[in-house]
Amino acid sequence: MTAKIQTFSSHGDTTLLEYDPATADMDEVNRVIAEYEAKTGAQPFDMATGERIKKITSEQREVLMVHPIAGG
Amino acid sequence: MLPGVPSLIPFLTHTRWRFVFTDMGWRWLVGEIDVPRPRQNGLLEQGLHILVPAGSALVAGELENRVDGAEPIGQEYRTQNYLRRIVALTGATQSGNSYVLDVGKTEFSVRNGYVRRLRDVTDPKCKYEETCFYSAYKGMPKAKQIATVLLQLTNNPALFDKWAAQSGAYKADGQVFTSAQ
Repeated sequence: MTAKIQTFSSHGDTTLLEYDPATADMDEVNRVIAEYEAKTGAQPFDMATGERIKKITSEQREVLMVHPIAGG
Repeated sequence: MLPGVPSLIPFLTHTRWRFVFTDMGWRWLVGEIDVPRPRQNGLLEQGLHILVPAGSALVAGELENRVDGAEPIGQEYRTQNYLRRIVALTGATQSGNSYVLDVGKTEFSVRNGYVRRLRDVTDPKCKYEETCFYSAYKGMPKAKQIATVLLQLTNNPALFDKWAAQSGAYKADGQVFTSAQ
């Protein structure tokens, strides 16, 4: 069973990371996600519950990085 | 000819016709109970059948993307599937081209580029407020922008006020985002 971290993009859905949650280094996963957030402003949501998550754990199987929205 | 054979001829003829008609009857019966299958002319149509459940609707504007070549057909339908999943996750309901989302007493109505808020559905004097929105990620398909807004408002309904203030882009947690970050 693998876990995926995806994001919406103009070219479809992009998989940022795919890993085995049983063996993956979750600190490393969170480090990569923090870098992505710093660059794009996207924040992680658990696609099983629809809730924003502060830290990704091995419980999450599908995470969606949600980009910022502006009013205009 | 053996005696009695002529009397058997009508019997044998009747029996043979019964077998023929019974056999046809089975064929007709099988034809009638055969599971109706949708007409499938090609791979594309088969793909649509799998990816688009009956009764689902495209978000207005997605076809424009396809015409522009911005999003190929397969991706477009994946986008629609994502939107459907997020609509189900957030408990929103589709009403025409809008998605209605209830967060406590507040009702949001999200459509292509616009979100409307009724702050307190129990207050008959409460009026609708509306603001527009767009993704900080340029080129994101409209259905994905709607899905993003539904997820964000469910978790942080106060984002509406920030969008209405038109003071830039905000992350899901309400922090301001600048592209320099």
